[in-house]
Amino acid sequence: MQRLLTLRNARRVAQVFFFALFLFFVFVTDLRYLKGYPVSLFLELDPLVGFATAITTHTVYMGLIWGLLLILPTLLFGRIFCNWICPYGILHHFTGWLIGKRRAEERERIESNRYKKLYSLKYVILIAMIAAALGGTLQIGWLDPIALFHRSMTTVILPAINLFFPTSIYVRQYFHVGAWAIGFILLFFVGMNVVIPRFFCRVVCPLGAFLGTLSTLSLWRIDRDVTKCVDCDLCLKNCEGASDPHTDLRKSECFVCFNCIEDCPEDALSFKFMPSLKTEVTAPVVPRRRLFLGTLVGLGFYAFGRTSGASDRNYDKAVIRPPGSLEEKGFLDACIKCDQCLRACPTNVLQPAVMESGIEGIWTPILNMKIGFCEVNCTLCGEVCPTGAIQPISIEEKTGTGKFAAQGPVKLGTAFFDLGRCLPWSMETPCVVCEEVCPVSPKAIYSHEVTITKRDGNPITLRRPYVDPALCIGCGICEHECPVTDEAAIRVTAIGETRSHDRRLLMDGGVTGATPDLEKRDR
Amino acid sequence: MANDSSQPPANQVDRREFLWRLGAAGALLAGSAYAGVKLWEPGHVVPGFQKVKGLQLANYALAPSTILPSMAIAHGTDHEKTIRAALGALGGMGRFIQRGDVVMLKPNVAFDRPPALAATTHPDALRAVAKLAFEAGASQVIVADNPINSPVGCFFKSGITAVASEMNLDLIYPGSNSFSPLELNGEILKNWTFFSEPFKKATKVIGVTPCKDHNLCHASMTMKNWYGLLGGRRNQFHQHIHSIVSDFALMMKPTLVILDGMNVLMSNGPTGGRLSDVKPMNTIVAGTDMVAVDAYGYTHLLERDLAELTYIHKAHDRGLGNKNWQDTLYKEVQA
Amino acid sequence: MIPFLSLKGLGKKPGPASRRDFVRTKIPLGENIAAGAILILLVVIGIVIGWKGTQFDPNLYSVRDGSLEATAAPVVGKSQTVRPSSEVAAVPDQAITPEKPTASETPSESSAENTSSTPPPAATGEPLEIGLDGIKPMGATEFYTSDTLYEKIDGRAPAYQNFNVQQMRCRTFSVVAASGSYVDVSEYRFDSPLDAFGMFASERDPKGKPTDFVTDGYSGEMGYFFRQGPVYVQIIASDEKPETIAAATAIAQNRAKALPVDDTGIAGRRELPAAGMIADSVTFVADNAQGQSTLKNVFEAKYDFNGGQLPFFIMVASAADAAKAWESYQKFCGNFGQAEALPDVNGAKIFRAQIFGKWKVIYLRDKEIGGVFDAADGDKARAFVEGYLLGKMK
Repeated sequence: MQRLLTLRNARRVAQVFFFALFLFFVFVTDLRYLKGYPVSLFLELDPLVGFATAITTHTVYMGLIWGLLLILPTLLFGRIFCNWICPYGILHHFTGWLIGKRRAEERERIESNRYKKLYSLKYVILIAMIAAALGGTLQIGWLDPIALFHRSMTTVILPAINLFFPTSIYVRQYFHVGAWAIGFILLFFVGMNVVIPRFFCRVVCPLGAFLGTLSTLSLWRIDRDVTKCVDCDLCLKNCEGASDPHTDLRKSECFVCFNCIEDCPEDALSFKFMPSLKTEVTAPVVPRRRLFLGTLVGLGFYAFGRTSGASDRNYDKAVIRPPGSLEEKGFLDACIKCDQCLRACPTNVLQPAVMESGIEGIWTPILNMKIGFCEVNCTLCGEVCPTGAIQPISIEEKTGTGKFAAQGPVKLGTAFFDLGRCLPWSMETPCVVCEEVCPVSPKAIYSHEVTITKRDGNPITLRRPYVDPALCIGCGICEHECPVTDEAAIRVTAIGETRSHDRRLLMDGGVTGATPDLEKRDR
Repeated sequence: MANDSSQPPANQVDRREFLWRLGAAGALLAGSAYAGVKLWEPGHVVPGFQKVKGLQLANYALAPSTILPSMAIAHGTDHEKTIRAALGALGGMGRFIQRGDVVMLKPNVAFDRPPALAATTHPDALRAVAKLAFEAGASQVIVADNPINSPVGCFFKSGITAVASEMNLDLIYPGSNSFSPLELNGEILKNWTFFSEPFKKATKVIGVTPCKDHNLCHASMTMKNWYGLLGGRRNQFHQHIHSIVSDFALMMKPTLVILDGMNVLMSNGPTGGRLSDVKPMNTIVAGTDMVAVDAYGYTHLLERDLAELTYIHKAHDRGLGNKNWQDTLYKEVQA
Repeated sequence: MIPFLSLKGLGKKPGPASRRDFVRTKIPLGENIAAGAILILLVVIGIVIGWKGTQFDPNLYSVRDGSLEATAAPVVGKSQTVRPSSEVAAVPDQAITPEKPTASETPSESSAENTSSTPPPAATGEPLEIGLDGIKPMGATEFYTSDTLYEKIDGRAPAYQNFNVQQMRCRTFSVVAASGSYVDVSEYRFDSPLDAFGMFASERDPKGKPTDFVTDGYSGEMGYFFRQGPVYVQIIASDEKPETIAAATAIAQNRAKALPVDDTGIAGRRELPAAGMIADSVTFVADNAQGQSTLKNVFEAKYDFNGGQLPFFIMVASAADAAKAWESYQKFCGNFGQAEALPDVNGAKIFRAQIFGKWKVIYLRDKEIGGVFDAADGDKARAFVEGYLLGKMK
């Protein structure tokens, strides 16, 4: 029994535990099961999220303070997160074990775990992302492992599972725009474990680079006793981080997996408190020119993305953001594209944007009323957002009731009629579904009764609907329920959203955002 | 942690390095913890509904004096001589302007009327005040107003542009970036958008206004003058004109106001249009209390009953000035 | 190394010197303790998360079943709504039986022109071109609607809106002969000649000199003001130089010629004097004014006169109708009160009467009958009427 209570076995148990916890959180982020579980815990623990959002938003939002909880063990032990806690890392570890060089020759395995210069790429990626953040745009979400894994689970894996096992995940099958691309990226990274073990973790992961930089100062490190070592290189056989324990240890690459200690037949390796640094490559080895290039790329991404104008006056009418979202520039400063909001949304209305909000906004959430609508009494997206890109507003604040009646409801946009498609307006056919389903009181859609002579000569009395933009909250139920399903006769667009002072729909000449005009509301 | 005690000393860390590494790790931990806590944002907001942090104007008024008068009334026929006399009675422009001051002159340039029709600040009055300001040592004199329609046309036709170029004044036209939201706890005026650009560098503010009849609030004098600083669609305020004019006394505490009563628009204001509406009253009133100056102007220049002037009584009741100018320290002189 | 496949499965490594993986046997106690502590920590984390799951506000997750239904009153009087797409495909046209609206109910809504109401007055129009020598336009024509008028005249706009101003266009012309001088031309278009007259009269300068080229107009030292048709024209010169005034005069005559004459509905209104009129007190009574069946199309207004208020009226009609009205009014007053004839003033016949404690002084002159009615002071009433007849009040 005593032989089983090794640190490596503890690590294995931890891997199973945290991976299972991650899967549990992902599964339970559903209206029916969510209760009070802290489903965004991994994202909040991710110190890169806290760090990068602190740069862009100048605040550490709510739960992101948990990221400090990870900095302590990293400064003590090193990159334990990468192998013990990170679910994406655990996935790669498992994939590598399953389909990798497990059965291959011992020599091949040893060679595959040597350090390669390619592994400095993740530092360049990290620098580029930090440079972009300093410029003013948050782009860590592309490659941050937790965000990436959450996004992949939400948009690809869970819908795929539901496709093969209907109603196991969703009541009705969920769809996400562009899921194929996200799935492809996931498969690519997972598949690359065949070529290089822990490809993502070693080559690409910016969080790994961040923790690797921190672990330069770690107090506990793998130490090789040169007097005992016979240079058999067996320690490399199962080395996860490719940290060269057989020569000068690269502490910034070491995942603290303890495989090397277990594999050394001479017992030359140990995990020591403050060993000598003489036999170590203490800091990450990154050519300076590459770092400079990374900085340029990051700043360039910010500049090129921002000057493409998608977040300014040329905003796309399809960029309808979830209720409680910050105004656009602030939103892009905070959204890490983790798509937790997509997972929590009960109507599948939230979709990953493709190019609607520019290149900065890829995979950020926008509403697609053809697929769903924003349930008036639901604020789940804000509840699960880890960075506050969507603020956790209360239902009262969202609907403008109770104490918030004076300021009014949060509007996502405004509905506009396309009269050429509307049945009573253009097709002599009665229909007022939009007016029936409009959830606000008094209704934002009203109608006038009209009697016309049809083509066949018979008269018909129709109710023709109109929108009152002062009352419309842009929830999209009307668009969703409109029987003209290919392109609804009433469509919601982003103008009139209350989150942005610039995009409020001016009525009766009110000054934008300067004085709430209560007289209009009393109509 | 296999800490083999048989390690040769050469592999061990010396004391200095030990402390340094321990300290560095501790410092990094403490630093990030401190930064994290300092920047921590535990609450949420409803985006778009946050209170707009507005601009609060500085108080440009001087401390009240118990010796020198707070209001001066000068009679004369020449703009410059009369203004000089009025300022002289107050103790000279040097009482208000010191060397190096950046002075903001706020005229009434609301309409594109020729000066003779007394619907705008007379160029001679502005010239005289600017001259006095420079003599007192002002390093820069700014002139600005926000007429809704075509500022260039209004400044030009009212003759102010010519004075600005002649006297080397900084004429600031309102542009799209010249406005910012105000922060005021007024009756009507709270967060309205405000022509803030001319005030960025100003250290003293002087209002130079004509004395006019006004069909909505009965008179447009030194208090109504600040209406020209509001932006946006300000015609909404016409329904609450008396409240908002009294709000101006809360919003703006100028160093000095000068009421040009040399030619008074007695009827058909604020636009006028007929010379017959204009009556020469040959008076200049200068003072530190807008309420007092306006009270004198309404009774003695427009020759009407002060009871009608609702905004004066509102401002007085709110403690923003004293309508009973006779009870204050004032001086009446002949130019 | 010659690799060969091992059929023994997991853990068996190919290679000539296949050796088993090394397995550590000596595990230091410290490591055991650390590993044990970590395992316990994991359990604790699991428990804490499980507990956290129970702490929540149930209101957050209550999706109301009725959320797709309206929260306000159901739609009243609707025709059949469209059924789901699967049903509609199979249903032929006749299934939609129109409800027969009762013929008289909604006649006004019976056209699809509900959507196009009269468009609001456009803020554009024909540029103000004045083809005169000696003046040059100084810019483009500006156009304003009733709502945007304040952008030009600020606080004066409500006064014009009270008289239903529709549009204003204005343009400035420079005077070639006098450099630096210019003339402002403003034309306010109202909805009727009567409203245009009302605004013109409210701003009228009592000391203005009448013009010879237009009936309702006057000039001052620096400009011309007149009404022609439903348009109130203001022509203001920038200074009193003779060249500028000459240009202003030429422009005024040009506009008077260009604008069509239309005096519909003004007849009596024009005669009402402006002096002392209480603002907004003008009313029009179509018939039965003051209870007299012969008084039709009457204009009434109230005046401040000598410290009191006097109501005054004027009716302009054919000479015969006016005379008939005057006589019947006089007879009426004689029957119910005391009437006395007063000496003629300036070609007008007058009588004064006191009925029910109030005084009337009524005159008849050609096509015009009018006078003070319901006054408290008979002498004041008489003085007012005589002053009017003598042309002392304008």
